[in-house]
Amino acid sequence: MTALQQVSFSETSTEEPIATAIIQTSLPWPLHMMLNMRSLAQPPRAGIDARLYQIGFLSLFLLLGIITRDWTLHPEIILTAIVTALTTQYLFLKFTPPPNTSQNLKVPLTKGDLGGSLLDNLPIDAFYSPMITALGMSILLRVEHWWIMALAVTIAISSKFLIQFNQKHIFNPGNFGIIIALLFSHGAWVSPGQWGESMWYVILFFICGGLVLRKVGRWDTTIAFLAFYLALEAGRNLYLGWTWDVWSHRMMSGSLIMFSFFMITDPRTIPNSKISRLIWTFTIALLTFVFRNYFFMNTAVFFALFLSAPLTLILDWVFKADRFDWFQPTAIKSV
Amino acid sequence: MKLLRSFFASLLAILLVFTNTLPAFAFCGFYVAKADTKLYNKASQVAIARSDDRTILTMANDYQGEAKDFAMVVPVPTVLSKEQVKVANPAIMERLDAFSAPRLVEYFDENPCDPPKLYDRFEMPQPVAPSAAPQAMKRARGSALGVEVEAQFNVGEYDIVILSAKESGGLETWLQESGYKIPNGARDLLKPYIRQKLKFFVAKVNLEKFETSGFTKLRPIQIAYESPRFMLPIRLGMINGQDAQDLIVYILSPKGRAEVANYRTVRIPSDVNIPEYVKGEFSNFYKSMFTTSYDRENRNVAFLEYAWNMGNCDPCSADPLNPDELKQAGVFWLEQPMGTNQPPQNSIWGRGRRPMPRSSNVFITRLHVRYTRDKFPEDLMFQDTNNQENFQGRYIMQHPYLNETNCDAGKQYRASLPKRFDQEAQTLSKLTGWKIEDIRKKLPSVNLADVSWYDRFRAYVR
Repeated sequence: MTALQQVSFSETSTEEPIATAIIQTSLPWPLHMMLNMRSLAQPPRAGIDARLYQIGFLSLFLLLGIITRDWTLHPEIILTAIVTALTTQYLFLKFTPPPNTSQNLKVPLTKGDLGGSLLDNLPIDAFYSPMITALGMSILLRVEHWWIMALAVTIAISSKFLIQFNQKHIFNPGNFGIIIALLFSHGAWVSPGQWGESMWYVILFFICGGLVLRKVGRWDTTIAFLAFYLALEAGRNLYLGWTWDVWSHRMMSGSLIMFSFFMITDPRTIPNSKISRLIWTFTIALLTFVFRNYFFMNTAVFFALFLSAPLTLILDWVFKADRFDWFQPTAIKSV
Repeated sequence: MKLLRSFFASLLAILLVFTNTLPAFAFCGFYVAKADTKLYNKASQVAIARSDDRTILTMANDYQGEAKDFAMVVPVPTVLSKEQVKVANPAIMERLDAFSAPRLVEYFDENPCDPPKLYDRFEMPQPVAPSAAPQAMKRARGSALGVEVEAQFNVGEYDIVILSAKESGGLETWLQESGYKIPNGARDLLKPYIRQKLKFFVAKVNLEKFETSGFTKLRPIQIAYESPRFMLPIRLGMINGQDAQDLIVYILSPKGRAEVANYRTVRIPSDVNIPEYVKGEFSNFYKSMFTTSYDRENRNVAFLEYAWNMGNCDPCSADPLNPDELKQAGVFWLEQPMGTNQPPQNSIWGRGRRPMPRSSNVFITRLHVRYTRDKFPEDLMFQDTNNQENFQGRYIMQHPYLNETNCDAGKQYRASLPKRFDQEAQTLSKLTGWKIEDIRKKLPSVNLADVSWYDRFRAYVR
């Protein structure tokens, strides 16, 4: 549901400039833009950031859910989620010691880039990703107390910075926060029936999700997941001998479509190569199918995604490919 | 203002409650007639007490036909032994119903010329009528049809067989040969349940026992089992239910509110002011309002009518169930403190230690599902959540003070009434779909002869 913003910098012994920013060529988020503009004097991105679309759409869904779907969702919980996410993101960007790798490219930073007032060295797009996480979690997670949401969101954002391998965060932050809240708090749940089975919502999710996915070039993930899952459920339907409206009712679930478009597609946590993505989405579809039909879990998709996350590491290791970059989604050569 | 109103309503109000008198509720199994009687199950009530995977399911129905013709088939997740089945006190369903029913609250405006004074009066719902009745049936037999009689026993007025089957044709034949009249189309619907490895709970009435029991109606059957499945098989019930069927599900949980996992759960409109004449036709009002809401939501949602901790109520439409009653309703975790979901040490029925008279670890959810074959293709799946937020279907009637008043406050009060009445009428019309003109005809008239035009105007624009 969100993407990692990764910035690296290290101090040098020189006077002015006092620091050198090390930007990973493949993961240069969120300072990538700013520093690249400074060093290369040309912005690498064209058009509007896909994440802005995502923020817009998620806000729309949240609003629609509250107005038309009778959600028991309180504004203070949403506010808590947003404030916590942005704060956590800020604190991590401000105070985490930067990773240092040989793959990084050095760009000089001036004094103002590291010190100065609160936000002067963080561009606004550093906060897109936590905003997406906060909105996504507000839509999906229900909590009894505001502090559970605060905790879940903090854990979600922290997981991006703390649970990393090869400077790629392993878990989808929103999903991670939801799983932790479900497992370890007694006051959190998800409502899989909350969207109902309205065709209009399915179409809306398809259009909005499609727009974002087209921008980031990750249509394959959603389509593959839905295709695998639909096929598995169709097989079961056939075996059991249910009429086909049972199958279509299951497939029309707004929550399932929403999940397919807005959660599993986070380009920063999914495998890099196409073949990996297919294997990965099949695993998620299979786990969802098994958890739902044989373990009767209403939270099947969330656990399926959570458990498949480490698979990304293996797949990325086996099938080498370019990492996703929010600014150059169509591919940069990997280092 | 709304808060204040709620506060007054709950604190000072005179309370009137009507148990839900909807034509009632379809059953999760289908009825099987032994004669050619045409049977329709119109309605049913199911109570599900569940903590972790342990479930006690109580099924009540409003079966109207001859007891000898009654039979039911319900898919169940596990083989049930005699200890896991019992006949429940029919009064317990009435108690659950009364406690959770949508309620009409009324309160009275004071004489605007007097200092305020308090009322406190409650009207309890109609008393519970005990019911039950039995009849007999014959033996079942396993055979080469691939049907296995897993257990066979007698509980109260019921003869019960638990079957497992390999193939739906075999099960259908077995049931027919054993004297059950199977509705057409049953075979196709039995197959998915057989393939999901579900067992079949088949109950018939033992006539001798029924006749000697002294009951006039069939009593609810209560079964206990342990399974991660938290569902109600409604598909079978749609074979012989032609029209929409109503199902009321009371879910009792130690955690909090329950909801339907594969359909939307929608709160029934609540906390609205309606004209006072509705008092005389609250049942009609509720039926119309429910139907309007059902249509508005495209007929494919479950309605939440009540969600409350059973330790209290506000306002109470009936006394909260005492620990004995809760146990009769299937609650087996009474000994545990709130918020723990550990299974009890004693048996699933809660034999052994007597529970403490504490019911705060029971949360009731009342769901009302009106289902038809086209809008509810899939069986109902539920989930319990930790949501402890209370909700009730509550309708407010505020009686105006219409006696003579001469003080200024009285005049202003009277001047304010027409607008209030009209708002109530519009609310009523919107909720029920009743014609606004018809409603307006029934509104009380207010004497405004001595009220100046500007007082009327002020009241109107306020």
